[in-house]
Formats: sequence, C-alpha cells, structure tokens
Amino acid sequence: MHGKRRPIPKLPTQIAGLDEILEGGLPRGRTSLVSGGPGSGKTVLSLEFLCRGAMAGDPGVFVTFEERAEAVRMNALSMGWNLAALEKAGKMAIIEARLSGDEVLSGDFDIQGLLTIVGGHARRIRARRVVMDALDVLLRVYGDRQRERIELYRLHDWLIDRKLTSVLSVKAQLDGNMAHRYEFLDFMADCVIRLDHRVLGQVATRRLRVIKYRGSGFGTNEYPYVIGDHGIVLFPLTQTQLTHQPLGKKVSSGLAGLDAMLDGGFRRAACILIAGSSGTGKTTLASAFARAASRRHEKVLYLSFEESQEAMIAGMLSAGIDLRPALRTQRLMVQTALPEAMGSDNHLIRALEAMDSFKPDHLILDAISACVRMGSEHAAFDYLMRLVAVVKERGITCILTNQMTGLAGDGEELSGIGFSSVVDAVIQLRFVDAGQEIGRQILIIKSRGSGHSNRRESFYITDQGIEFPNNLRLPSARAGQADPKDGGK
Amino acid sequence: MSKSPQAKHRARKGQHGHYLLRLFMAGNGPNSQKALANLRSLCEEHLNGRCTIETVDVAKDFQAAIRDNILVTPALILVAPRPRVMVLGNLSDLPTVLAALRLSGSKS
Repeated sequence: MHGKRRPIPKLPTQIAGLDEILEGGLPRGRTSLVSGGPGSGKTVLSLEFLCRGAMAGDPGVFVTFEERAEAVRMNALSMGWNLAALEKAGKMAIIEARLSGDEVLSGDFDIQGLLTIVGGHARRIRARRVVMDALDVLLRVYGDRQRERIELYRLHDWLIDRKLTSVLSVKAQLDGNMAHRYEFLDFMADCVIRLDHRVLGQVATRRLRVIKYRGSGFGTNEYPYVIGDHGIVLFPLTQTQLTHQPLGKKVSSGLAGLDAMLDGGFRRAACILIAGSSGTGKTTLASAFARAASRRHEKVLYLSFEESQEAMIAGMLSAGIDLRPALRTQRLMVQTALPEAMGSDNHLIRALEAMDSFKPDHLILDAISACVRMGSEHAAFDYLMRLVAVVKERGITCILTNQMTGLAGDGEELSGIGFSSVVDAVIQLRFVDAGQEIGRQILIIKSRGSGHSNRRESFYITDQGIEFPNNLRLPSARAGQADPKDGGK
Repeated sequence: MSKSPQAKHRARKGQHGHYLLRLFMAGNGPNSQKALANLRSLCEEHLNGRCTIETVDVAKDFQAAIRDNILVTPALILVAPRPRVMVLGNLSDLPTVLAALRLSGSKS
C-alpha cells in the first residue's frame, strides 16, 4: 500500500523553511490544522500562507473569528504585507466573523451562514486558499462538544468539496484541556502543525513541529522559528547536516609556528576549537588567522560576543595584529552583539543574514562561553549546532573560541557544552608558571584529517604578534605547504 | 409588579407596536423550517398578527448575510421596535425567545 501511492499534490507556502519541512508544501485541496498557544504566531503563519499566495496571483479568503479585520490589516502591514491593496486587486477577502456575544440562543443551529459568506467571497475572487483563524472562538458558541464536532466536520467537508486548500488555526495549550477538546481535529485534518512558544531562561523560543501529514513524509524534528520583519523564518537545518562539505586543502593559520605544529595549517571547511582560560590568547590566535586570510584576499566574518569592534581592534593592535586594513578592504566583517540582547534564534538569523550577504570564506565565533548568556546552555548548544551545520554545508572554515574556567579536560569539556563531535581540530592554550614569569603554552589535541605535533609548545604574545621561541619547522617532507609570510617568526 | 417600568414599556409597545422580524434561513434545512414554523405560531399567539416576517435565504443572497453578519442559521433579527436583538437557533425554546423579544408576560 505504501510506496505504490502516488505523491499527493502540494501547494508551496513560500514561507522560509516550511516547504522543506513539509516536503513541498501543504496538501492541495485539503485541510491543514495549525494549533498553538497565545503568541505562538498562528495568525502570522496562516496569514503569510495567504499573502504569499495572493501576491503570486493565487487569491485567498481570510476569515477572522477573533480579531477585527482592521487589526489583521495593521498586523500584516507591520510584516510588509499590504492586505488593503490585495483586497482592492481582488486577490484577497477578509471576513470578520465575530459574534457580538449578546445573541440569544434558542434551539439548534448550524454554520450555514458562515459557509454562505465564505463561499460567496471565494466565488467572487476565485479563491483557492482559505484561512480560518481562531476557529475555536466560533465553536465556543455551541458549548456542546458533540454539536461542535458535527459543525467542524460539516465545515471540513464543505472546504474539501470545493477543493479549497485551507488552514484552520486553533488556540491550544499543549497540556490544557483545549488540546484534548480539539484532539479530533488532528484526526480530521490531513496535515497538523503544532506551534510552541515557551520562555527559557527569560528568552522566548518558538518551535514548530509537524504532527502528521497524511500521504506524505515530513521533517519530524522540532524546528525553531522566529517571527521576523517579513514573516515566519524557520531553520530546517537538522535535515541537511549530512550534506557537509569534505574538509578542504590546508590553509595557513597565519602563524608559521602553528602551521608547523599542524603539519601545514588548518584544513579548509574545518571546525576548529581554540580553548583556554581568560588571557591565554584565544582572540589573538583567531585574529592572526583573520589577518592572514584577508592578506590572501579571503573574507572573514567575525562574530564577537565578548567585546565591541573598537575594543577588539584596539586590543589586537596592542598585540601587534592590525586588523584595520582587513576592515578597510572589507575582507573582514565584525558583527558584535550582547548575547543577552536577543534570543538564540535571532542571533542565528543575524549570523545567517551576514553569511548570505557577505559570503565569507571563514567564520570566527568569539566565544562559545558567552553564548550561554543567550538564555540557557540548551539555547547556546542549539545556536552553535545550527550555525556550524550551515558553515559546514557551505564549506566555510570555522574557528570557535571557548573560555574555560576550570581545569582542562578532554575535548568534550573544552567546548564547554559538549559538541566536540562536530569539531575537527582542538587547540588548547594555557598559562604555565615559568619561574620568574608566567608563560603560555599551546597544544594541539586533535586535528582530524591531518598529522599534528603532540608536543606542548611555548609561545609569547608580544607587541609584534605571537612568537614561538622554539624555531618550529614543518616536517621536511612537507615543507613549503604553508605560507610563512604571516604571523610569528 | 404591574407598575414596573417593564410593564409600562410593554404597554407603550402594545399601543403602536408593530414587529418587524427578519429570519435568516439556509434553504430547506430542517432547523430553518422549524424556526419559520415556530416564528409564525409565535406571531399569531403572542402578537395577534401585529408583525411582519421577512425571510432571507442566505444560500441565495449571501450579500444579505454579510450585511447582517449572519454566521449561523437560522438566525432571527428583531428589526423593529428597537433595540435590535438577535436570536440564534430554531426558536424551539419559546420562553427564551419571548424574553429576548421583550414579550414575556404579554400573554399567559
């Protein structure tokens, strides 16, 4: 029975990321259900579905049971959708279906009036799409579950008879009695989408999950989404993690000594973790890489969660690394933000937007340890996993720094939040007590797909940059692979 | 009780009260037919025919449904005398309907 079935016809929603999760779109000519708690974005999602259709010439009817039509128009305008213009152009109809509440009930009734109004408008504008927003509000008038159910099935049949692709939205708390009350809707609809809006560590996070899709496969994960300036944005990234680019050729770390330890340098498209306690030189190491990359005419996106661009540039200048030419030639883009300024989803969007417009060859994130302040360790983990997934998909080299507070342990601890499996190379920096002074040491803990030194090497941070006192050289057989021009002596 | 404001109101209505009732129906649906029958008998028994019943079939006239925001059928609107009242359902619950139309006690 399975496998032989022809693929069901679908209607793309054009909502960023949703069609990938739905493997093409919503079921055409069928009913989909969107449920979620207050503020989860049910109205925005269903409205966007309608707007994107209408703007592409596929008219639709929006029935609002709760908000006034004018409020719907205003909300849409804040997303950049001009409903009034679409209505005037005959591409959209908004029906305000609100009972005033002071009607007197006497005996049985049905929603034929509503169907007549919707049908009339749908015929007038030749609508193919229908949204019924906050349907639960209409049903409340019945106060009788049996009758409620009968009317919903009537509505459902009516929509399907007319081959309308429809989205019904229903308010539901995940574990409230409303969810139970509308459980049967999940059986009725061909596609069921659940929106969840929760607050973790004072930061709002939203998740979308497809519960079922009759006759079709779908992404089964929980997908984070944000309500952006132009509608819903989803990140269906977990599905694409298997399409990582293979590690590329060697790329100089910007430091001859480190290149020698790394048997020529980092691998392009690798994810490199630089871990160490405060002041060991993580940012300096990352900046040396950035400077060398810009000299090779490659582009670096630097995400700084620790300090402002000015503070970072000044700090590096005192360590002998001048990043100003890289900024001037626009080969370095620094994006700074306080981790707690927004939720991890918004941070991710910002980074992805910068990646889309700037198209960097390399990305530096400074530092993982600050990401926890995006809300929670879970949020930080989610952010980093998704960011690294995109970076890997696009073949971008990625350097992550992590400030450690405790004693150094294995790679798991070095990343702080346990995602060492996606990390290809781990470099550990530490202070050592060298008698009269404090020295620094560097150790390569792992370097996937490459040989590397197993020795701890001393290094200094001077006003001339990073220096390796031991004259480190590449193994002779591989000499000349790295570019010794940049960085230490 | 007979001197209550309600009683005075009823009396005033009785003098020059003519009822205009608009019934929205959905074709020959059973509830719509029941509502019409109930309304007709109410008119005769409680208003002595001092009423006009206007029926609108929403299936034929969806603009009328839009004008009066008729979402469910059958629906009865008391157009006159003011204030306007809406009663939803097949009007089978007579005391409720009479109360809504401010006719309670007009005839026992």
